[in-house]
Amino acid sequence: MSRPPALKLIRPTAAPDADSAGATRRSLLIRAAQAGDVRAFAELVDLYYARCLRFALHMLSNQGDAEEAVQDTFVRVYRALPSYVERESFEPWLFRILANRCRSAGSRERRRAEFVEFGDVPDRASDHRHDDAIAWREEISLALAALPPEQREAFLMRHVEDLSYDDMSVATGAGVSALKMRVKRACDALRLWLTEERNGRRD
Amino acid sequence: MDDEIDETIARIAAALRPMPPIDPARKASVLVAVAAERERAREARRRAARRWRTAGLMGVAAAAGLLLTVWWRDVIGGRDALRSTSRTAAASATTPASGAPATSHLVASESADVAPLPVQLVLRAPAAHRVSVVGDFNGWDAAANTLARDPASGLWSGTVVLRPGRHVYAFIVDDSVWVRDPRMPQARDADFGRPGSVLLVGRP
Repeated sequence: MSRPPALKLIRPTAAPDADSAGATRRSLLIRAAQAGDVRAFAELVDLYYARCLRFALHMLSNQGDAEEAVQDTFVRVYRALPSYVERESFEPWLFRILANRCRSAGSRERRRAEFVEFGDVPDRASDHRHDDAIAWREEISLALAALPPEQREAFLMRHVEDLSYDDMSVATGAGVSALKMRVKRACDALRLWLTEERNGRRD
Repeated sequence: MDDEIDETIARIAAALRPMPPIDPARKASVLVAVAAERERAREARRRAARRWRTAGLMGVAAAAGLLLTVWWRDVIGGRDALRSTSRTAAASATTPASGAPATSHLVASESADVAPLPVQLVLRAPAAHRVSVVGDFNGWDAAANTLARDPASGLWSGTVVLRPGRHVYAFIVDDSVWVRDPRMPQARDADFGRPGSVLLVGRP
């Protein structure tokens, strides 16, 4: 089977002015929240809630666990905000807290899964839908869930959250070359899983 | 190692990028949880301040006791030469000593002043399915005090037991809408941009 041609990833970039205005606004909000302005903190929650929930949902594959992880993340952010120094970028700092929270929730979930009795098949696995778009999303969810957590985390940060490798290094505590390797392995595993899945369906 | 992605990876990333639907109630509960965290931190600071005050009072009482001991030893010893000095010491010692009962009286009257009082909270919300009250008195916990509905009037009411003083609170309707009590003055320090009302309990 011939491998599809490799494409160079071109990330969509915002107009520089809009981007810098957004960064200034974020910076003002963070400073105000650090000074105890609760409205500014509420705006930060508005700004980042959806992204955090998206990341947590892909990491944990469960709505309730993801919402709980995001809530807990913002409580921790609030608690840790006085110690945040602005020379660090806010997003990797936020994602570090969120990723830690998802890791602990993920370990709890794995422990819980060990006690699932035979016959308790998760709904997702027994749900046969034929709509192609839904089937494709489900395949991706299953493939993503099958990745080791650190590869899943690296893939999501890089290809979904668009973090740079330096920011990912801040968020995960791992070195840049280790992260590149994790992303590459995740991509290889996803490609393999989805190709096999498609071939399996054709058979 | 550059990021080279093929069509499969690009499609996976595109499928994972759309933002998930947001449940407004869950999002609102984030701020309730943060408010509860802030209240816990404030309470911890208040407890620490109380400990310092108690330690200070105990220090004063100990100093008074020491002075009294010195004075009493001097009286018993009958040291004439030091008698006048002892009187001075006694005079300064009796101030805190006599202050001790005064302090206990203050504590006693303070404990009477801080005795919690029942307060009824009412909100007219005929279309609501659930109303709860959050405030500094329940750690902004939406599950702590839910109100009961009177079907005839559409009024939701409940009683909370509050210590005398100033309290800031709000109602949460159907787990998602944050409303202040329209009957009471608006709090200037409303929480996280959400409206709040002020309630004064106890002595005017």
